[in-house]
Amino acid sequence: MKIILLAPRNLIRSWQRSLVTTLAMGFAGVIMILFGSLMDGMLQASERSATMMNTGELQLHAKSYLDDPDLYTVITNEAALLEKLSAAGVSASPRLFSFALAAAGTSSAGVQLRGITPSLEAQVTEIHKHLSQGHWLEEADAKGVVLGRKLARSLNINLGDEVILLGQSSDGAMANDIFQVRGILKAVGDNIDRAGFFMLSTSFRELMVVNEGVHEIAMKRKDSSETLAATQQRVQDIAVSYEVKDWRSLMPVIARVLELADAQTMIMLSITYVAVGMVILNAMLMSVFERIREFGIMKALGVNPWQIVQLIFAEAMLQAFVASLFALVVGAGLALRLQERGIDFSNMLSATSFAGIALEPIWYARVSFNSLVLPIVFLFLMTLLAVIYPAIKAAVIKPVDAIHHY
Amino acid sequence: MNLVGLAWRNIWRRKRRTAITAVSIGFGVFLAVTFSGVGDYSYTNMINASADMGLGHITIEALDYNQSPAPDKNIDQVATIQQSLQRIPGVENSYARILGQGMFASAHKSVGGAFLAIDPNSETSKHNLFLCSLEEGALFDANSRGVIVGRGMAKKLKLRLGKKLVYTTTDKNGEIVSEIARVSGIFSTGVKAVDGAFVLLPINSVRRTVGYSKNEASLVAVMIKDQRYTTQVLASVRQQLAQIDPSSKQIEILSWRETQSEVAGLISLDRSSNYISQVLIGLLIAAGILNTLLMSVLERTREFGVMMALGMAPHTLFFLVIIESVCLAFLGLGFGVLLTTPWYFYLNRVGIDMSGAMGGDYTAGGVLIDPVLKLYLYPETIAAILFAVFLLTLLSGLYPAWKAGRTPPVESLKAM
Amino acid sequence: MLKGFFLSQFVLADEIAGTTQRASAILRQIDDLWRGNSSHSQFSMKIKTAHYTRTLALEGWSLGTQKTLVRILSPKKEQGVSSLKSGKHLYTYLPRTDRTIRLTSSMMMGSWMGSHFTNDDLVQESRREEDYDIDISFEGERDGQGIIEFTLMPKEDAAVVWGKVQLVVLAESLLPVKEVYYDEDLKQARTMLFSELKILGGKIRPATMRVVPSDKPEEYTEITYQLLELDIPLADSFFSINQLKHR
Repeated sequence: MKIILLAPRNLIRSWQRSLVTTLAMGFAGVIMILFGSLMDGMLQASERSATMMNTGELQLHAKSYLDDPDLYTVITNEAALLEKLSAAGVSASPRLFSFALAAAGTSSAGVQLRGITPSLEAQVTEIHKHLSQGHWLEEADAKGVVLGRKLARSLNINLGDEVILLGQSSDGAMANDIFQVRGILKAVGDNIDRAGFFMLSTSFRELMVVNEGVHEIAMKRKDSSETLAATQQRVQDIAVSYEVKDWRSLMPVIARVLELADAQTMIMLSITYVAVGMVILNAMLMSVFERIREFGIMKALGVNPWQIVQLIFAEAMLQAFVASLFALVVGAGLALRLQERGIDFSNMLSATSFAGIALEPIWYARVSFNSLVLPIVFLFLMTLLAVIYPAIKAAVIKPVDAIHHY
Repeated sequence: MNLVGLAWRNIWRRKRRTAITAVSIGFGVFLAVTFSGVGDYSYTNMINASADMGLGHITIEALDYNQSPAPDKNIDQVATIQQSLQRIPGVENSYARILGQGMFASAHKSVGGAFLAIDPNSETSKHNLFLCSLEEGALFDANSRGVIVGRGMAKKLKLRLGKKLVYTTTDKNGEIVSEIARVSGIFSTGVKAVDGAFVLLPINSVRRTVGYSKNEASLVAVMIKDQRYTTQVLASVRQQLAQIDPSSKQIEILSWRETQSEVAGLISLDRSSNYISQVLIGLLIAAGILNTLLMSVLERTREFGVMMALGMAPHTLFFLVIIESVCLAFLGLGFGVLLTTPWYFYLNRVGIDMSGAMGGDYTAGGVLIDPVLKLYLYPETIAAILFAVFLLTLLSGLYPAWKAGRTPPVESLKAM
Repeated sequence: MLKGFFLSQFVLADEIAGTTQRASAILRQIDDLWRGNSSHSQFSMKIKTAHYTRTLALEGWSLGTQKTLVRILSPKKEQGVSSLKSGKHLYTYLPRTDRTIRLTSSMMMGSWMGSHFTNDDLVQESRREEDYDIDISFEGERDGQGIIEFTLMPKEDAAVVWGKVQLVVLAESLLPVKEVYYDEDLKQARTMLFSELKILGGKIRPATMRVVPSDKPEEYTEITYQLLELDIPLADSFFSINQLKHR
């Protein structure tokens, strides 16, 4: 008799039992896919918010700048450098920094001036998308500035208001000018929230009399399939006399928190897999042992043990196949929906930031090859493992024992 | 007929299956305990640590101080407030403190930063993270001009014990004032931003400097015995303080959720992802139980048919299966408790040291995190877990039981 | 110190009490020498740092110890920028933006007009008699000049960062020559040198003061007086924020 034909027939004959078993396995697969995609989404979101808000993936500084940020410690010849970086497949945004006093009405506060070029910055970070009010810097608007959330509050300032800057320019003179508030940021990290004062780099140069050089170049790979370390090496080769750092060494605390979260996610995922394994094991054990009498009779009718093992495996694989289809259709469907819409926590918390990275109150899933395929592979593997023991038992059982088994 | 006895015997007819089901229920208990335990422990820790950084679980401060702190936004009648706080159940202690910004200078350099002025007679390391991480020296006397600085600031300004530190700040009238202090201690929390810019000062001397009377302060930090009751204690603090002389300055009473919103946000984010994981795993285990019970009902169709033919009412069959699932639930819970108790006590007492994975600076949202992963469960969390697992099993039994009750006697006899 | 210089009251303006009677008496004489109720001055400030060298021309007015107004005359770019000290407040008027900003405590340690002086140097009262125990530590010939060296030790409670201050004056004229500030370990932190004696405000005074930070000996800020008038009629209202704008 053809096992390939017998297996489905067997399954269909006791359709209720097959359905229950298959559904349990399929459901387990759905949970694995959902969980995997949600965890993937979370990891990606936190890594992205760590790099995409401000830091970028790599940063270039003059050697002593990070230890002692100073208006005069600059990367020179930045135009040529930017060109080379772009040719090397790296998006780069030059930045200028300085401290100053911002005053509005009777309030004043110390701020960190951040001079940027909007078109270049947008290639590296997404801060321009994180405004709570107003709009981002525009090239034509030399006097427009964007402020951090807490800074705006402590200056008691609103959109369209004037704000005065007072600082010391590079030639020692008193730098001062009036600017207009064009935008106020959402929570994007404590430093920027409290002191971030964004302006055009051209306005920065005029105010602070910095004619050439930049303090920082933030970078991002154009092609993220290349490893960051390889890109870093390439950038280092281009900018030999400067210091290139990746975001992990620029933000070691966040990198570690993320690593920890990564490890936790893996633990959770493996726990889920163990639970899934148990469900499958249970389902398979039951569906085989319940029919041990049937197998005994088959043996009595002259079916050899090897054929019985084959039959049991064929049935199991068939069920795993149907369960996988179910898991893929339902699981991927749900996960894709969560990828689009996300789970909204905004009734539980507002947009916040921790340890300098912004957190969005919406949790998006991320459907990837791994988050779909791994659960399916695991499903088959677990099914195979689960039927080994009952299959052997069924194969070697004496027909007489089998008939009395129940 | 004794249904319970019958059910008990029934579930043991298939020992292996029952064992697997009990294990998966037990595993569910285990997972729920681990997830909730890590949550209960780390949230409590984070909340308490952030409360210990100066503002307490509940902060009593001048109206709008939280939004835009300024030296002229202070509270008065501190003694009266503290006295009435003592009467509120759940309040462990309260501390009057002054918080401010300033410049800190030595002959070498000056740095900007913040100070927390405390009363050395009432403060201990228990509710004060800085005192807790004191590395050198000791707490100053109440009437001295002592100062405790962070390791980072001590380095920048080249300070040692006994050295001078001049601080400049703004007094309540907006005047710029300077005062001297001598280093009596150096703390090190391990957080650069804190160690480099934070100092502790004696409240009496700061009161003189900024022009506060003996009964004035920036805030009263209230420590609660058990942070879970923040909302309740907050309500009674509000009620109690509403009775204080209305002529006094307008005050605002806020919980750590408002004053340390970053920590609150982080916790609720973590908690919600934890919930989702638990729900998913709960569903998975429920699927396993449902599978077991449904199978056991399906394979006993004939048996149920016979029983019905012998005059057993459908609802009795329904209850039989329900009782079976209850028995399974108890078995599973028992196994779960056996499995989980040693694990729980190990992690509760010893914990897993994650410092290798975290490196030197254990902070999130500016709050120190204990690098040792430990479990702690509140009694009601334990009750909730046991109840939830029990309920899950019972619910999973509903459909199979309903199916058993509906077995038509004739048909099942045919199935013979 | 800086303020003292502007006020033409110099370092020792208010120094009256001292532990040693004689030291106090001499300091009082010096004090008398420089005392003026009000002043008007024109001076230049040359600043040399590793990154820039610049020279400012300034005009200043003072009334008592509480009010000072300083205005930049040149360079053109900063012309009209003014600092008003009134009591312990320091205001800056910025003509380019037509705004007056009050400096907060966090700006006090910032550089005043790009010089080696901090805003705090300007605001601090020279309450030396309150802050220091004064003693004569040397008297006699040094480098061919008769000098008196005062040692000022900060009192226990005084809000000064220094560990010790030494002041050298000419024995004959009681004109200051040098003032050295030490840290708590008695290492030099900064030095002020006085030179170019000439007639200013009717008396011989050093017209130039140079401040050198000890950790960057190649840098300095040097103030030189061109004009000094003492005891001129000035109203209190002259030092108002409104005046700051209109002048």
